[in-house]
Amino acid sequence: MRRQVTALVWRVVLAAALVCGVGLLPWLSRTDPALTVLKARSADRDPDPEVLAAIREQLGLDAGPLHLLTRWLGGLGRGDAGDSWISGTPVLPDVARALGASLLLMASALAVAALTAALVCARTLRLGARRGLGGRRRGGTGSAMAAALPEFLLASVLSTVVGVQLGWLPALGWYGPAWTVLPALALGLPAGALLGRLLDDLLPGAFGEPWALAAAARGLPGRRVARQALRRCVPALLPNLGLFVVGLTGGAVAVEQVFDIPGLGRATLQAALAQDLPVLQAGTLALVLLAALATGATRLAARLLTGPALRDGALFSLHRPAPPGRALPPLLCGAALLAVTGAGLVRDPLAVATGQRLQAPSAAHPFGTDALGRDLLARVGHGALDTLLLAGAISAAALLAGVLLGLVPRLSGPLVDTVNAVPPVLVALLVTAVAGSGTATPALAVAAVAWAPLAAHTASLLAQERATLHITATRGLGAGRWYLLRRELLPAVLPSVLRHALLRLPGVALALASLGFLGLGAQPPSPEWGLLLAENQPYAERAPWAVLAPAAVLALLGAVAVTAAGALRRPPRRHRTPVPGTPPTGRGDRAGRKTLAGVG
Amino acid sequence: MRSPLRPRLLAPLLLLPLIAGCFASGGGEASGSGDGGSGGARLRVALAFPPAENLSPYGADATLLSRLGVTEGLTALDANGAAAPALAESWRRENDRTWTFSLREATFQDGSDVTPAAVADSLTRAGAAEPAPAALAGVTLTAEAAGDRVVRVTTAEPDPVLPLRLSSPSLAVLSAKAYGKDGRVDPVGTATGPFELTKVNGAASASLDRFDDYWGGRAQAAGVDARFIADGTARANALRTGELDIAEAVPVAQAATLDKDTRRDTATTRTTSLLLNASSGPFKDAGLRAAARAALDTSVFAKDVYEGHADPGAGIYGPAVSWAEGKRKAPVGRAEAKRPGGASITLATYDNRPELPEVAQVVKDQLEKAGFTVKLTVREYSRLESDALDGKFDAFVLARNTLLDTGDPVGILAADYTCDGGYAIAQLCDKDVDKAVAEAEKTADTEKRRDAAMAAEARILGSDAVVPLVHQRIITGVAASVQGVVLDPYERTLVGTGTRR
Repeated sequence: MRRQVTALVWRVVLAAALVCGVGLLPWLSRTDPALTVLKARSADRDPDPEVLAAIREQLGLDAGPLHLLTRWLGGLGRGDAGDSWISGTPVLPDVARALGASLLLMASALAVAALTAALVCARTLRLGARRGLGGRRRGGTGSAMAAALPEFLLASVLSTVVGVQLGWLPALGWYGPAWTVLPALALGLPAGALLGRLLDDLLPGAFGEPWALAAAARGLPGRRVARQALRRCVPALLPNLGLFVVGLTGGAVAVEQVFDIPGLGRATLQAALAQDLPVLQAGTLALVLLAALATGATRLAARLLTGPALRDGALFSLHRPAPPGRALPPLLCGAALLAVTGAGLVRDPLAVATGQRLQAPSAAHPFGTDALGRDLLARVGHGALDTLLLAGAISAAALLAGVLLGLVPRLSGPLVDTVNAVPPVLVALLVTAVAGSGTATPALAVAAVAWAPLAAHTASLLAQERATLHITATRGLGAGRWYLLRRELLPAVLPSVLRHALLRLPGVALALASLGFLGLGAQPPSPEWGLLLAENQPYAERAPWAVLAPAAVLALLGAVAVTAAGALRRPPRRHRTPVPGTPPTGRGDRAGRKTLAGVG
Repeated sequence: MRSPLRPRLLAPLLLLPLIAGCFASGGGEASGSGDGGSGGARLRVALAFPPAENLSPYGADATLLSRLGVTEGLTALDANGAAAPALAESWRRENDRTWTFSLREATFQDGSDVTPAAVADSLTRAGAAEPAPAALAGVTLTAEAAGDRVVRVTTAEPDPVLPLRLSSPSLAVLSAKAYGKDGRVDPVGTATGPFELTKVNGAASASLDRFDDYWGGRAQAAGVDARFIADGTARANALRTGELDIAEAVPVAQAATLDKDTRRDTATTRTTSLLLNASSGPFKDAGLRAAARAALDTSVFAKDVYEGHADPGAGIYGPAVSWAEGKRKAPVGRAEAKRPGGASITLATYDNRPELPEVAQVVKDQLEKAGFTVKLTVREYSRLESDALDGKFDAFVLARNTLLDTGDPVGILAADYTCDGGYAIAQLCDKDVDKAVAEAEKTADTEKRRDAAMAAEARILGSDAVVPLVHQRIITGVAASVQGVVLDPYERTLVGTGTRR
């Protein structure tokens, strides 16, 4: 009980710190809110000192941030979240409406994700039910590539092909059930592929446990065994699912933009750019509350599904001796990636030839040209180094922070929820406010978000691992805490988290590009991959090759990361059977990509 | 059949009203092309900018109201950029500071008459608004009824362009009902235009009905269903699926996806130029500015980057300012171009208009070929403006409306290119330019004012602080069945009495 109270207090402290941080944002970043509000109201208006003074007076800015904040908090107690600085209308109804639309979008995306995940796991479940899994190698290259697909790309393609050209479903708007299908597909497909892959990785372990064997020997129908195996595996995914749910609610900016959905993502993005603090504070608070609810719900669901086994330390490691991954797929993907990079490096990525705009692939330009007639092969090749080095460095930092914080779940759990709930643009703005807009800022801003899923993953793996029988046994033999951590827990957990970090590398690259419009990160004409995707997105229909090339190399990168991760599975050690092949857990939220549409 | 499952199966149905609340409202009626029995179908229009200030007539939303044919002012702009009669039939300058306007017979959409008192009240309230509407920046005016159908407007300083000023959408005339106690102004059912706002769904959509007693005759369309769709691709897509009749401002990148006969180009008063910082950095040297100007091949911008949906840069005023071409003079006082010798400069632009980063990259490429070293910065506009005004960049690619809010050509010259201009990104401070602009500012006669403006333009271009790159055109997507869309270079009208489908 005391533990829960402490967690609650910590959560409240974090939420309060966040809201205060938002309230101080313009003063920390020294960006005049009167100016940003004026520009949001009327982009063409010249910023005369008189106009700015009038706005300052209207908003009461001269009273200072502390006064504004206390007044807002006071109003909150009365159920009044203030008036929007831009439109002057009350914030609460607007935020509630946007939250409703976003929740509905998220729920339909969740349904699609569940279906996709079911399709991905169908084969394993069928084989497992018939006890035909023995020796099957792990595949999943396809689903890993699907999971690396940027949502905004999928959204553009669905909207133009299914919505406009085929005319099967409405291409934009948010007026009824028919309008939810395409956005839900755009969000749900990659997420479902990811979740499905994770589940598919866990299932063989469950089918290999003694109870499954016993059930099969007892003659229980395969369908029931499969159902129990699912029940055994799903709890491990629940924390990720929770993060995914919250991340999608506040961060589906790209999809909201393409389909013109009046959701919370767009509302908070606009408010963040305009520094419309009342809207931003209310939106953030709503998301943080949602995160707390989601965490509570996933905990409850995990307890209902797993029962007391977790508490009593009566679990088996979800492990079975995995055959080593095939060496061929990673080699093939890696060779393709290297070949593309090599071929691109010998060409000029910056040679502008506007006359050659948007040329289809040809012998002279194997990948075609972009809107300024630059060779895409050259741009993809030259972008590889920038993208991989920076994204790699950020991933490494996030991995370190994630594992360290994951070791102290009671401290980091609420922190993970909070960081995950905050829209990525807002995180970037807050980081910029604190760190200034130096060269390291974009990396810091992305890393500030990227560690969270890794920490959540580490924590959930550790909890499972601590509840296994062999740890109990080791403890019984007199092992100390350090010994356990160093020799048993960390070696069991690290490989999975490392694979997870690798899986998220393409996402990190995209997140970096999404900060460009704040003047952070790569600037044009740099051929950084995320930037390539963003700058060619408007031409996706006329010149599909311009987005396909960078999307394909990102997907290849994802595939290399996943398949090569097979080689990272820990070889069996002498003194005991190896611990989990608990799989790489790509966090669901994919937060960084959401803002990409804001770039276009 | 008393299955215990049934109530449980029905339970989700209880959620339905809740879910219905999560959808946007306002889309339903768009499907019904109902004509209300009195002739004419409803028009479905997508506008690019959602109302930012709850449709307050004093900010940017004013343009939106005027584009939809809801509001009108005393005057309007004609095709030549001169003041034309609207609610005022005629006007007269009594002395330096006083004008009188004779009103026509008209009624407000709430049924009351447009009286001089009501007009004077509207103008007075606009003058007292905080912040003041852009058209009234730096102007103090008093308006009063002066007889049966006459309004007298007096300004504190002599104002030779008052009739032009009053054409601004932010000085629209509304009935007394529009003005609430708390200072809010509500244009729903209180304006004078051919269409009457009936319902506003936040920043998502608005419904308008025809106003049958409009002084200019009954509109042909029964009403307008307006949607605000910020994403350009989404607007183009909606037009292609037949969900829309008119889509405003289709981005250049999407223009090619529309059929040729559904897209209309209109030259606008927006000019995209390269501004060179004339008071610090390498471009303080007029010779280097001349070198930069000479290095730019401006023909490629209109042809390639804008794919022909723009006109090559000719001067500060483009072809939409129809009188400018005939009066244009050669730039005066240009310096000799120097060799750049690897001079290192910073170039900045913003990505709110998707073509600008592309333009800036071409500029960078051309300047580098000429021997400059260029570093490019692209940010969101509100994150860039104060740095630009502080002169932190050496060069800046800017898209700017050259007639501003007043329709007066001299306004932009004073704001952008004089020593104490309020929007001096070029940081130009040149005695001759200031003199030429001051000359233009005090000229009252329309023709002479235009001549003086062009003389000042020649001076400014001569300083090479600005290199006009392209004059933008706005691409409006219009479904094949729609006729009578008002394509206005000043972007103040779109739907008029003759628009129908």
